[in-house]
Amino acid sequence: MTTTERGAVHEALVERARTLDKGAVARLVSLFEDRRPAAVHERVRVLELLDRPAGDEGSADRACAVLGITGTPGSGKSSLVGALTQRMLEHREDLSIAVLAVDPSSHVSGGALLGDRTRMRFTPDERRLFFRSQASGTDLGGLGPSSFQVCRLLSRLFDCVIIETVGIGQSEADIRHLADRVYLVLQPLGGDEVQFLKAGIIEVPHVFVLNKSDEPSSETSYHQLRSSMWLARPFDEDAPPIYRTSTVTGDGLDGLEADMLAAVDRASPGALASREPYFLARWVEDEWGRVGTRFLEGELGGAAAFVEACGGYDRAQLELDRRLRAQLARDGDEGSAGG
Amino acid sequence: MPDSTGERLAHQLYDADGQVTRDRPWIIRTYSGHSSPKASNELYRSNLAKGQTGLSIAFDLPTQCGYDSDDRIARPEVGKVGVPINSLDDMHVLFEGIPIEKMNTSMTINATAMWLLALYVALARERGVDESQLTGTTQNDLVKEYLARGTYIFPPEHSQRIIAEMYEYCLERIPKWNPSNICSYHLQEAAATPAQELAFALANAISLLDLLKERGHFDEQQFEQAVGRISFFVNSGIRFVEEMCKMRAFGELWDEYTRDRFGVKDEKYRRFRYGVQVNSLGLTESQPENNAWRILIEALGVTLSRDARARAIQLPAWNEALSLPRPWDQQWSLRLQQILAYETDLLEYPDLFEGSVVVRSKVDELKAQAREEIDKILGMGGVIPAIESGYMKTALVRSMSERMSRINSGEQIVVGLNKWTEGIESPLLGGEDGGIFTVDESAVHDAIASLERTRAQRDPERVERALEALKAAAREGTSMMEPSIECALARVTTGEWAGALREVFGEYRPATGVEGQKLALGGDRVDALRQRIAKLEERLGHRPRIVVGKPGLDGHSNGAEVIAVSARHVGFDVVYSGIRLSPEEIVQSAVEEDADVIGASVLSGSHLELAQQIFDKLAEYDATDRIDVVFGGIIPRGDFDKLAATGVKRVFTPADYELIDIMESIVELVEARAG
Repeated sequence: MTTTERGAVHEALVERARTLDKGAVARLVSLFEDRRPAAVHERVRVLELLDRPAGDEGSADRACAVLGITGTPGSGKSSLVGALTQRMLEHREDLSIAVLAVDPSSHVSGGALLGDRTRMRFTPDERRLFFRSQASGTDLGGLGPSSFQVCRLLSRLFDCVIIETVGIGQSEADIRHLADRVYLVLQPLGGDEVQFLKAGIIEVPHVFVLNKSDEPSSETSYHQLRSSMWLARPFDEDAPPIYRTSTVTGDGLDGLEADMLAAVDRASPGALASREPYFLARWVEDEWGRVGTRFLEGELGGAAAFVEACGGYDRAQLELDRRLRAQLARDGDEGSAGG
Repeated sequence: MPDSTGERLAHQLYDADGQVTRDRPWIIRTYSGHSSPKASNELYRSNLAKGQTGLSIAFDLPTQCGYDSDDRIARPEVGKVGVPINSLDDMHVLFEGIPIEKMNTSMTINATAMWLLALYVALARERGVDESQLTGTTQNDLVKEYLARGTYIFPPEHSQRIIAEMYEYCLERIPKWNPSNICSYHLQEAAATPAQELAFALANAISLLDLLKERGHFDEQQFEQAVGRISFFVNSGIRFVEEMCKMRAFGELWDEYTRDRFGVKDEKYRRFRYGVQVNSLGLTESQPENNAWRILIEALGVTLSRDARARAIQLPAWNEALSLPRPWDQQWSLRLQQILAYETDLLEYPDLFEGSVVVRSKVDELKAQAREEIDKILGMGGVIPAIESGYMKTALVRSMSERMSRINSGEQIVVGLNKWTEGIESPLLGGEDGGIFTVDESAVHDAIASLERTRAQRDPERVERALEALKAAAREGTSMMEPSIECALARVTTGEWAGALREVFGEYRPATGVEGQKLALGGDRVDALRQRIAKLEERLGHRPRIVVGKPGLDGHSNGAEVIAVSARHVGFDVVYSGIRLSPEEIVQSAVEEDADVIGASVLSGSHLELAQQIFDKLAEYDATDRIDVVFGGIIPRGDFDKLAATGVKRVFTPADYELIDIMESIVELVEARAG
């Protein structure tokens, strides 16, 4: 395919994606997941098209809220997300939501079992809701290597992006960098309260959700959570809200839904751009390891400055890739010359 | 008649007056129902005219799962494995000309059992029949649904409440009705051993009685009566001597548990009452005519011994492994029962095995094994925790894989399948219909037309009120039985009744069982396949993706789960979308996930319709060229070409038991597309 042809394909896809056509959005997501170097150029092109106002609708200054939902397996995140998206779409006729559900990959085969759809029931052909699974690439869970990339795309198409992740540890810190608001879902007496406190994870979320409140042990867990919160976050001016929910009885969903809708209303355009330096640094570490990180910090003046100097994330990726390869080649030459 | 000396002969049966007598035969039934209420009604009336003495109703999957016939997910299944019942109007048609006050009616219905009983009671009320005269059984055993059969709707705790409320209603209002039937039939179909079948069924019954006791609705006398209402539905396999001993063990154990654990004093309430459908698992697709002999032998296991004889028997048809039986096939099975009951001398004797040392020893062994297992389950807190923890499922999966490996190795002989497979072709499979039954396609239209008539003619306000009252009862914990009867009278539909309760109770989504699978999948071929998949990732820009799901309503998810886990094991990203999906939902998943392959598993016989619907939807999304579709399940060879014509690229059946072959075949497809 020639460059012009590919350009035409992208133009057509972008036009269809603007109408939230599922097939078109899905194919663009695949492009943003593609880790081959050539895909960067195509992404730049798609983003240009998307950021160019089309017709009467300017998508360049679209505001999108990125909400992170995290918690241990079995806490009922997926059912909760299923119930909440359904309600939000019912109550706001012009709202559109994309859900990105990240599941762990097997470290043996590299394959992943992406099962979140089993907990969700969607109205078929509802364009205002898009669901995509993603493999984390590690068996610990957390964000996938291209979660940020896919968010950059989806935030240009939808009013709200919900990222659902499994796991504890590094991932929570990541999600705080990606999401405007992080919801930690716990289940009664999972022993989670103590674990999260230990891991320092209790400091991450903006909102706590004690799910499965229909279970008898939920009352005890609620009080335990409250008291550990006070210990862990004594300096918070406002205690973070705790919602007690049950997707079985529907209890507490109103409050949580209102919290999420308020976050959608607060969203401001271009918020994701400010996160580019963090995710550039993370990408460098993924791709190049400590060598890359040292190079970015030492030679290029750090992620923030470099992104700014290059004029954006993708160009920074390309430029960094080029310079680092050149550097490594030079090091190699010097090495062999010296030997 | 006593002989001249007044002494009785040990081989003769005597009645209360001391006259020589002969036992009355068991209730002879044929499990049937298909297409539409009208077609089923004709079938029932002709079966009754042929000498059948009870009705056994098969419902279609939408009715079993609580959906109306015009529900998107229901359409491919309407009338397939049984009769569709949408409202009381359908019940009137189904029982037209059949005196329900004289009928012993068995309904194979579980998650919606309360609804079907409510419809039956409402039918009686509209006909002016006193409901206390109704006799029969609603199967209503959710344990085996969670474990093996998959037509559950609500979470276990709510299902158990529904069962308990039906016991409470029936004991007062329909004393001759068996509100539930502890059903171990499907456990044997899932390869349970005799000891497992005994233990799981009895643990289930004990847990139900524990619940009834705990609810405190009954006084002591009523509780004894409730124990007396518990009936069982068991399986009978080809090892017929052991099966006969199993039935004796059942009877003795039930007597002991009801006496010792529940203190039931009256012996008649401790009696083990059971009906039988003989085994279908062992019926073969190859040389199907042999199944006629298997069915006969299996029937002997539950009739030979008078002390352990079934109260009611239904036999499968010889060609059940191929398709739904035709009326003639059912008649053939019916004749078998009639010959056994009326031509032979079987019913003239007291128990043939009393005093047999061999039988005694075997029964004792089975009892000891069962008691050990029952103690284990009760120790976990009863049958519900044992399900939720996966304990019982794991035990069954193990038994099944042991059975499969015995058959594959030839250790267990199955004639015509792994031994003596050459033979003269059966003329029984000739004829225009090829020896199989196909459902009349107009059934769907009839069902939907009747549903639309009902909706148009009913009083919407009464419907609304009835549904609200039902939901209120469900929420407040009062009995839902009377509100359900009012729903029936108001012409609420099956989907509306179930929908209202889904709103209150939620829908049960059990652990998929995917993670617990053990695969015999390893070695060089797996390594090679992983490398091919890594190369594909480079070519495609993503790891190959497969969406695995079960379109339709049949809940037998094991096959799909094995495929999902195998695919991940060789390196696919697998979107497992679970059971009870509409074809539209599966396609939407595949499109949104930008998948390379859809793997659909179908066991209900609806594969042709479902494939067509999948491809229609793919075309709508303009994705036919981007996504390959493969099918797996019980699919007759004769349909392979039709599926291929629809666009299906590969078809896998139980004959393809090597998982690595299946995986390689799917990877080849993706490679071909990647170019």
